[in-house]
Amino acid sequence: MKTLNLIWLVAKRECKILYVNRIYFFSMVVFPLLAMVFFTSLMDEGLPEDMPVGIVDLDNTTTSRSLIRRLDAFQSSKVVAHYPSVAEARRAIQENEIYAFLYIPKGTTDDLLASRQPKISYYYNMASVMSGSLLMRDLKTISTLGSAGVGQATMRAKGYTQEQIMAFLQPIRINLHQVANPWTNYNSYLSTVIVPGVMMLFMFMISAYSLGMELKFGRGKEWLKLADNRIVVAILGKFLPQAVVFLSLIFFYEFYMYGIMQFPHQGDLWDIILLSLLEVFGSIGFGIFAFGLMPSLRMSMSICSLWAVLSFSMAGFTFPVMGMDGPLQSLSWLFPLRHYYMLYQITVFNGFSLIDAWFHFVALVGFTLLPWFVIMKIKNAMLHYVYIP
Amino acid sequence: MSIFHKISNWFEDAAYIWRQEIKQVFRDEGVLIFCIIVPLAYPLLYSWIYNNEVVHEVPVVVVDQSHSQLSRQFVRMCDASPDVKIISYAEDLDDAQSLVSRQFVKGIYLIPSDFSTKINRMEQAVISVYCDMSLMLTYKAIYMTSMQVSQAMGAEIQKKVSGNYTDREDAITTRPLDFEDVPAFNPAGGYGNFIIPGVLMLILQQTLVLGIGLAAGTARERNRYSDLVPINRCYSGVYRIICGKALCYLMVYAVMSAWLTMVVPRIFSFISLIQWQDLLALMVPYLLACVFFGMTVSCLVHYRENVMLLMVFISLPLLFMTGVSWPQSNIPGAWQGVSWLFPSTFGVRAFVRMNTMGGVLSDVVSEIRCLWIQAAAYFGFACIVYGVQMRLTRRHAQERLEVLRKKRENRLLLKQKVERS
Repeated sequence: MKTLNLIWLVAKRECKILYVNRIYFFSMVVFPLLAMVFFTSLMDEGLPEDMPVGIVDLDNTTTSRSLIRRLDAFQSSKVVAHYPSVAEARRAIQENEIYAFLYIPKGTTDDLLASRQPKISYYYNMASVMSGSLLMRDLKTISTLGSAGVGQATMRAKGYTQEQIMAFLQPIRINLHQVANPWTNYNSYLSTVIVPGVMMLFMFMISAYSLGMELKFGRGKEWLKLADNRIVVAILGKFLPQAVVFLSLIFFYEFYMYGIMQFPHQGDLWDIILLSLLEVFGSIGFGIFAFGLMPSLRMSMSICSLWAVLSFSMAGFTFPVMGMDGPLQSLSWLFPLRHYYMLYQITVFNGFSLIDAWFHFVALVGFTLLPWFVIMKIKNAMLHYVYIP
Repeated sequence: MSIFHKISNWFEDAAYIWRQEIKQVFRDEGVLIFCIIVPLAYPLLYSWIYNNEVVHEVPVVVVDQSHSQLSRQFVRMCDASPDVKIISYAEDLDDAQSLVSRQFVKGIYLIPSDFSTKINRMEQAVISVYCDMSLMLTYKAIYMTSMQVSQAMGAEIQKKVSGNYTDREDAITTRPLDFEDVPAFNPAGGYGNFIIPGVLMLILQQTLVLGIGLAAGTARERNRYSDLVPINRCYSGVYRIICGKALCYLMVYAVMSAWLTMVVPRIFSFISLIQWQDLLALMVPYLLACVFFGMTVSCLVHYRENVMLLMVFISLPLLFMTGVSWPQSNIPGAWQGVSWLFPSTFGVRAFVRMNTMGGVLSDVVSEIRCLWIQAAAYFGFACIVYGVQMRLTRRHAQERLEVLRKKRENRLLLKQKVERS
């Protein structure tokens, strides 16, 4: 009972600190909310639509124009300009006016009707992989359809049935199942990991910051005294209010994602709650550990920020970890966001059971317990260190 | 004082401030980390992460219920492709799914039992492809491979049934309209070549702003009144302070930007098509804009660490706002407007288009122009905020002077009293 009372006292003191220093309000509430709004509104379309595409049509016949009209009707592409030559279209890509163009050389229709196999080409800018590959898909479909259209017309003239025509033009059809995200929605694919990553960044830094500020303003002794010189109590009391703030923020975000934005998820509510709890405690644990390793405000915050920024790459939700070099694959275990992402995609996104993600679960619990190794060092620092700017 | 004397004085003061600032960069651990170590080490780390560029041999499990020569051909051809590796065969879909859940495979190819029968009956056969959508790159590899293999097998089947005499006829039957796709500017579609140029430019801006902010925070903390500008004869004009400080950071970052834009891409053999003249024309306004932007931001923070909390988290939004990953044409207007506040938006765009897409200076004129405007505007802002800071310093100095004067007067009065008595 006495312990609980002490924790409560320290927590009350912490609440006062959080209230007085405005930077806490900004980095615990305003900035995370800003990040949530930013990413979800930026990718609100889900899949980029109507990206600018150019045309170099030297043939200029009804066939070529119908091809262009069909391209314009696709979801990702929008025909915005015609260019007289390939060189000028290329320049337009370099000036960022268009992301891709379709080139139909002169005599395409004539050659097509005379069965001389004409060739059309499409150029797309792969300097931006997302827009490039989406446009490539559209342009490829158009070209395939153009090819099929000829065969279809010939076969129909010969009196084949629709089934026969389809079986001839496409003997093997691929039936694609995009499990758990059938819309290829990039918003639900990126925002579900990036925003928690940003939250982790703040949790790392705020944990180190709040410990460092005690040292900086020489309040460490007072803090420990309030907790009866018991460091565990002091730490628990100090991070209780922060954990509550971050948890409520994350629950709000989960509600916003799955309740309002209707992001797809196969896992149930308990998976989501467990994931959020592990995220908050694992991150705060990491922040305290970083401070314990180097009890200096500046160094521990630098480490936390560098680690957090790096974790966006090392989590492997854009470029997969299995594509990286061996040493990096092992290194990725040291990043809480990596485990968060794996746990998220196994249990929440795909809805598999927790046992399949046991390693990542254990890893996040491990991050939560990390401060245990450095707790005496923190106490020592609070009692004896002098802040040197 | 002659005008010549004034000018030489100005330069001396600016040079003094320059020296003080350089000293601080190398003395302050935090600034040293962000201005020297991070720009040196981070690009190497990022390049290493993305150096493999593409994902090959994505593990896939096959559920072959057809057990026919054709189904085995499909599996063989998929396995032989560079992007997909068949690592296992499963009895049924549940069995295959358990492999997905344990992260052994990223997708499932399901070949139904009537696959071969249907093809031989000249009906359309179907192959089901199940993809784990948590990774777009592996989804693309699995799907595209199955598409290509099915098309190649389909062409063979078409040739068999159409009864042509020559190869040329075969070619025309399978593909009356030939097409060629040309991935321009990043032919392999590599992830590193796509993301690294943007990251490099962003690292320059972020470390520069963080460094300036930390240095300013330290200067405040050393100061008795936590003022940014110390009480010193040399710090008597806004322009000399700003020029002196800017010279210091420009000097350090001339080296850093050369390292980031010229050496790092060559070490990892990333695409680097930019000419040195164009690079110079881009980097001068970019660095100037970043330095003055950093100075403006640095006046807003009181504690040194706050600048970290502010600047680190916007790195990722800034990268997204440049239009490298999410296409620029699809960024909502409001965020486009916000993105104009940051030099990185234009810097990254211009750099990517010249470095990766082989553009020349005339292709990025508007971006360069925006950077110059930003440089001028942030110079103006920096002057204003430093002017305010100087006025504060002067007021504090005056107050201090008053206090000292009063003390002296009191002392004199006391002395007189003592003498009188």
